[in-house]
Amino acid sequence: MKLTDLESDALNELFNIGLHRAAASLSDLTGKRVVVDLPRLWVCSMDELKDRLLEVVSGDLATVHQFFGGAIAGDAVLLLEYEKAVLLADLMTGGDVALGGRLDQSAREVIAEIGNVVLSSCLGAFGNVLQVAVSFSVPRIHIESLDGMLRSVVIEREQGIPYALVAATRFSLSGLEISGYLIVVIGVKSLELVSQALAARVS
Amino acid sequence: MGPADPALELGSPAEALVHAGDFLDAGVLAVDGALAVRGWNRWLEVATGWSAAEVVGRPLVDVFPALAGTRAEDAFRRALAGETVVFSHRFHEYLVPLPSGPAFPGYERMQQSARIAPLLADGRPDGAVALIQDVTERVTMEAELRAALERAEGASLAKSEFMAAMSHELRTPLGAIIGYSDLLETEVIGPLSERQKDHMRRVKMGAWHLLGIIEEILTFSRLDAGREPVHQERVDPSPIAADAVAMVEPQAQQKGLAVRVQLPEAPLEVTTDAGKLRQILVNLLGNAVKFTDAGQVELRAWSGPGVLHLEVSDTGPGIAPEYLERIFEPFTQVDSSHTRVKGGTGLGLPVSRRLARLLGGELEVASTVGQGSRFILTLPLLPAEPPARAGETA
Repeated sequence: MKLTDLESDALNELFNIGLHRAAASLSDLTGKRVVVDLPRLWVCSMDELKDRLLEVVSGDLATVHQFFGGAIAGDAVLLLEYEKAVLLADLMTGGDVALGGRLDQSAREVIAEIGNVVLSSCLGAFGNVLQVAVSFSVPRIHIESLDGMLRSVVIEREQGIPYALVAATRFSLSGLEISGYLIVVIGVKSLELVSQALAARVS
Repeated sequence: MGPADPALELGSPAEALVHAGDFLDAGVLAVDGALAVRGWNRWLEVATGWSAAEVVGRPLVDVFPALAGTRAEDAFRRALAGETVVFSHRFHEYLVPLPSGPAFPGYERMQQSARIAPLLADGRPDGAVALIQDVTERVTMEAELRAALERAEGASLAKSEFMAAMSHELRTPLGAIIGYSDLLETEVIGPLSERQKDHMRRVKMGAWHLLGIIEEILTFSRLDAGREPVHQERVDPSPIAADAVAMVEPQAQQKGLAVRVQLPEAPLEVTTDAGKLRQILVNLLGNAVKFTDAGQVELRAWSGPGVLHLEVSDTGPGIAPEYLERIFEPFTQVDSSHTRVKGGTGLGLPVSRRLARLLGGELEVASTVGQGSRFILTLPLLPAEPPARAGETA
């Protein structure tokens, strides 16, 4: 499944709208200026996903999963390297959590909330622009390896072959940049719907 | 589970949740599409003192007037639109205003974390449910932990600053003592009698000794704080061993001890920190010479699979089994009367073992009382790889 350049631009725009909303919410929550931008975006198969992620992340990962359903359905994951999640939680709360460099219970909640804001903003933007209703499950945070993350990504069989929309994201706050990845795994059926809606939008 | 338990005959999903919620140590608050309370579990009854009968059916903002226009009200509205919202106590303090218990005097309101999710009926949002957890205790503990951490960091910082200051304050005057002694010894200022020269030599020896002790304490505190840098390079240990032997030979000769060196003929190569290796060998050889009154001190080296062994043995008094591990504890000498006789800080062996471990190796001892001691340093030929991280392929 390949997107045309125009569709790819439209997808970029969709994620950008979502991330902009997420940044506004996070700034509002923390009282700090938070910028979330999107350096890169790609669509790949699940097999490729592992290889591509292996190039950019290592070690333990902190992931926030949120399943979504409706006209398009799948699993959305915010993925951060463990140390980066610690730093992000630390910066977001002004050093209140992640004591001793660990993702303690409070830091996990903070990451879960950040994941919730980012994932629901992006999926919400999808829903709005594509004019489909999207509902979400409770976000779940896990500390896991890349293999663990890939195993825990599940979509329903009737959605067809799974594909991943991967958005490299960058959180900028307090003068620091923290990179993470937003991975939306949807079946080929949902991807076709997205593709059609994007095509309709750009034509 | 019993098949006909009347308690499990449940009505709507909201009622089911609230019933189930009676068994939870968490608040379960359900609202309908118009944000009127539909479910109020026992936990909320206890937390507020209001029974479900008093609350159910009333608008949420009527029950909690403080909620109007807040992010919490917004969260319920977003849940009605199908979104699930996490409410971390780190960003919100609390979802609904509930009084805090007497155990947490710092908080008028219970600190909460919450999840607000849509309640679906026939696949469509028909209300929302909030699962509220009391995290006041956790917040209190974290605040205490943070305060303790800050105190500990403060103390550690004070210690480091003290060490840095001490290093400067002690080394500067010693520099002056050694420098001026050298100057006097050259007799540039004026001639010295033999007796004066002898006294000068004693002053200098004392000063060098003191400098050595200060360096040892500083190395120990840097190692203790994990601040000792390691510079790995490929080195041949033979010249390093020869250097270390040369440093102790004068004292050995004075005591009439033989110093023997046995190195393999084939060149050895190890990737390690040459300075630290020398420091360990000088420590071990210095100790061997210091504690041996007759006989010999020997340095041997040989390589095994992936490792290099360096052994310093002596024909000294030996160490009783009960002291074998204690000698690696800081500020310990086997017989504290030795400290006065033999001098030293008692840090030589602890520093050496810590250095050996810093280099990825180990320092061990074997000894027989009355026959002597063997200290065996084992170093990896190549520095240990940092442990592979999960998720990486080899």
